[in-house]
Amino acid sequence: MAVSARYFVRLKLRLLANGLRGRTQRVALFVIGAVMAAAAAVSGYALFSVIGVLGEQRAAEVVFPLAGSAVVLGWLFLPLIIFGVDESLDPARFALLPLRHVTLVRGLFAASLVGVPAIATFAATLGMVHAAAMLGGFFAATVELVGLIGGILLCAALSRAVTSAFATALRSRRSRDLATVALAGSAALLGPLQLGLRSAIERADWQGIGHVVDVLAWTPLGAPYSMGLDVATGRLWAVPIKIVVVAATIALLLWWWSGSLEKAMLGAKSGSRERTASQLTPVAQLVPRWLPRNRFGALAGREMRYWWRETRRRATLISFVAVALFLPVLVAVSGGPAGASGAVLVFVAALAAVSLTNQFGFEGSAYAANVVAGVPGRVELAARATGLSVYVLPPLLVISVIASVVPGRGAAAPALIGTVLAAYGVALAVAMPISVRAAYALPDSTSPFAMSSGGGTAKGLLSFAALIGATIATAPLQIGAWLLGDVWLWIGLPVGIAYGAGGLVLGLRLAAPMLDDRMPELLATVSAGSQ
Amino acid sequence: MTVPEQRRSPDPALALRGLVKQFEAKVAVAGIDLDVPAGSFFGLLGPNGAGKTTTLSMAVGLLRPDLGQARILGYDVWADPIAAKSRIGVLPDGVRLFDRLTGTELLAYQGLLRGMDPTVVDQRSVELMDVLQLGAGNRTLVVDYSAGMKKKIGLACALLHAPRLLVLDEPFEAVDPVSAALIRGILQRYVAGGGTVVFSSHVMTVVERLCSHVAIMADGRIRVRGTLDEVRGDRSLEDVFVEVVGGRTATGSELSWL
Repeated sequence: MAVSARYFVRLKLRLLANGLRGRTQRVALFVIGAVMAAAAAVSGYALFSVIGVLGEQRAAEVVFPLAGSAVVLGWLFLPLIIFGVDESLDPARFALLPLRHVTLVRGLFAASLVGVPAIATFAATLGMVHAAAMLGGFFAATVELVGLIGGILLCAALSRAVTSAFATALRSRRSRDLATVALAGSAALLGPLQLGLRSAIERADWQGIGHVVDVLAWTPLGAPYSMGLDVATGRLWAVPIKIVVVAATIALLLWWWSGSLEKAMLGAKSGSRERTASQLTPVAQLVPRWLPRNRFGALAGREMRYWWRETRRRATLISFVAVALFLPVLVAVSGGPAGASGAVLVFVAALAAVSLTNQFGFEGSAYAANVVAGVPGRVELAARATGLSVYVLPPLLVISVIASVVPGRGAAAPALIGTVLAAYGVALAVAMPISVRAAYALPDSTSPFAMSSGGGTAKGLLSFAALIGATIATAPLQIGAWLLGDVWLWIGLPVGIAYGAGGLVLGLRLAAPMLDDRMPELLATVSAGSQ
Repeated sequence: MTVPEQRRSPDPALALRGLVKQFEAKVAVAGIDLDVPAGSFFGLLGPNGAGKTTTLSMAVGLLRPDLGQARILGYDVWADPIAAKSRIGVLPDGVRLFDRLTGTELLAYQGLLRGMDPTVVDQRSVELMDVLQLGAGNRTLVVDYSAGMKKKIGLACALLHAPRLLVLDEPFEAVDPVSAALIRGILQRYVAGGGTVVFSSHVMTVVERLCSHVAIMADGRIRVRGTLDEVRGDRSLEDVFVEVVGGRTATGSELSWL
């Protein structure tokens, strides 16, 4: 007997409600997330419908597929990099139930559509229906609505399939490197697109953009959003073809997802690695030689192990490295203005530090060991920052050098490194108090991208806010670099280091007493649900 | 492994005064006063959900009580946490270890975290891994350990800095008989050397075999306390427990479809 997808949706809503019940802070986070999503939805709706109200047929034909593609790509990359996916219905929990595979996929897929991001995206794109109605009447609007429904299904299927496949790949050592390359590669696919757009805009070549968009409108990225417009211009024959394109893509994605879902249900037990007995003493096994053999060394040593050994953290690192390699190279190759690579690198450095906004959530209730040992907040936070820096500082330095040498501005490298270090330090300072005050428990799931239900949006926005805050806090340096010109090339490195270190010290002084005061509360927050 | 020297102090090893903890609508611990005499082997009994874990968490500084005080060897856990926490070893239940470390790495971590000398940490870690039969050269991550091995490595972490008081939450759960015997032996020697053990359990036979003192909890309160003989009288501890807690005995008519 097939179980209706309705039950999955109801289960998810019930989990959401239970998760919020009686927890004021979570309710507040959820409401903030919902309000921000609603604001985004309303402005999206307004933007799209205005085009229709003005009767700009050609503008709509350019904007809709472009915006639609951005939406789809957003659904692809944002869960991987910042937001995670809501995995309150963890597929592994259904492994013991006598459910047919099709039923499970259908149910989980339906449940994944019930959430703030999906509803907000759909509401925003509804503006296109309004526009289609103004441009082509009732029938155009109906077709556009069908397209949008296909679009949101496509977005959800895409994000599920990709995160699930990536999570599965990360579990085995062999395919881990492959997954890294795949992610970097797919990020790089954005490159040609952006390059084309850039050059077109620079030449004010609307014709050129028009051609790109016309092609885009036939791909799964743009097809769902351009159907109604085809009706409006009388190209009725295009509609069935586009419907087939969208439906086939969805089917393909769901098929891919269902494959990795099966692996996820069979358990995440990674074959325990055979490790050869070590000749090192226990302390030497934990603490690398360059770290002091004391409390700080132990904490930093453990953090370093964790960044590599825990899938969730490793996924964060790998996503970061992929973005870090891709973005600056893109800017360097496309030959933007001199300041552009600096701005991008500031963003990348801040992105690295922002991985610490939920640093206590990563290990959950294991943090109890540190609470029982009474670790001082200052040592704890400094050691955690050190552990991350071991992994992200080398790539940051390397890309800073590349980004200055490749466009032939090698002399600017030290100053650029200074700026990057400043951004990194300041971003760490911003992330530290957030990690103490706004920590949240991560679900005990097989997927490194899983977020628990409710508040996920707000929490993702929190890291986003930290990212923006850190970028803004580094603005004085960038302005200084711009004003001082050549002088900056000389003083950039020391000033940047001082700026970053100063920010870091400030952040530590702010966050450490906070942590000392609320260690048990923090433990309770991050271990919720893992017991 | 060094065993703490014999020392008689006037303060009880653990003193709880008026501890209260409420979770949302449910009162988990409704006012607990308890003295654990130094040098005793103290069993905290109770059915599931009686509030044992909550009480012990508040006693060792893992959970902030709504009301009340906890003192360890005379030091207030919440007013002077560093002094109190340096004197206890804790094995929490239902709490993950830092399980992406190997057993030896975990012990080194705990030792350094406690501010111990690295050479002492090295020496004791190897000895503990060996005595607890976890294998000193074992490079398996703790996450891949069996449930019993996890309990043992948790116990090793609690013992490493030779604390005066051990607080163990369900130390015998999921442990096979051979390991349980080993753990019992270690704990008995520790108490004989002047240490104090407080542990929670709902397995009566273990408690009867080990404890000098017991307290029975139900619904967030202590119902009975005293030395083992005072509490049990001439009956078995299990009978006393079921009577105090107010359990239901099967009549044979229910679940007839089974």
